[in-house]
Amino acid sequence: MELIGLVCTAVTVLTPLVLALFVGSWIERRHLHALAQREALLGSMLVTDLRTFPQHEPGTPPPQMIVGEVVIGCDYFKAFLASWKLLFGGRVGSYQRVVDRARREAVLRVLEQARALGYNAVCNLRIESADVGGNTQQSRMPMSAVLAFGTAYMARQETTVPGWQPQSQAESLTRS
Amino acid sequence: MLVVNTETIPGYRIVALRGLVQGNTVRAKHLGRDIAAGLKNLVGGELRGYTELLTESRREAMQRMIAQAQQLGANAVVNVRFSTSAVTQGAAELYVYGTAVVVEPETPAASEAQPL
Repeated sequence: MELIGLVCTAVTVLTPLVLALFVGSWIERRHLHALAQREALLGSMLVTDLRTFPQHEPGTPPPQMIVGEVVIGCDYFKAFLASWKLLFGGRVGSYQRVVDRARREAVLRVLEQARALGYNAVCNLRIESADVGGNTQQSRMPMSAVLAFGTAYMARQETTVPGWQPQSQAESLTRS
Repeated sequence: MLVVNTETIPGYRIVALRGLVQGNTVRAKHLGRDIAAGLKNLVGGELRGYTELLTESRREAMQRMIAQAQQLGANAVVNVRFSTSAVTQGAAELYVYGTAVVVEPETPAASEAQPL
């Protein structure tokens, strides 16, 4: 009887962990792949966090503020790993990826909306971590909520400053 | 209503200031959403219920801010900022604020250009 109890406990504890490990990492890989593809499409947009309007084209439609937000959760397996990491300290890579994905997704939503409206530039892009339902004190469900906003406007086509650097590209530059 | 998060609007001149306008919403996530998000959190990925919650509260807060600006007779809000805070566990506030102004186009060409 004791053995059966032990097996049952092991199954209830391990099943979510194994499920989270495989499905979670698959979801993350798919998301990162989609992010890279979508960022590549927006390479021609002039994106800055300047409060002025670089290369603004006079006589074009007035600018408009655009907001994008996303909430991304961390899977059970990563949270489990991180809880061990928190004992010893150091870089928590799994959480870092979750925060990074949320930020890139929120920025992409702003840029995609701007492009859909016909704008070709975004300035004063701000990224803020939002809070959903007071999650700050709640450690059992790690998640990252990001609110990104910027002003979309029309810029002259010939860009003298390099356009927006997708993060995937910027990362590979610093690594090499 | 022109809404931007920059201090100026190219092609427009600020002719009058109408003061600070603000809008806020405090939203609590409900149990159904919590359960769904809890299940989704097992495998990670986007928690759509919470994203929608954030979008809804942002829209409502912005509508309040814009209504205030209209009441003051402004036709634009500049330098808009967002800020969020946790009121208690389970409820979050989204606060949006900006400066209501009256703008007029600098050139006749700009007055013809409609917002996209």
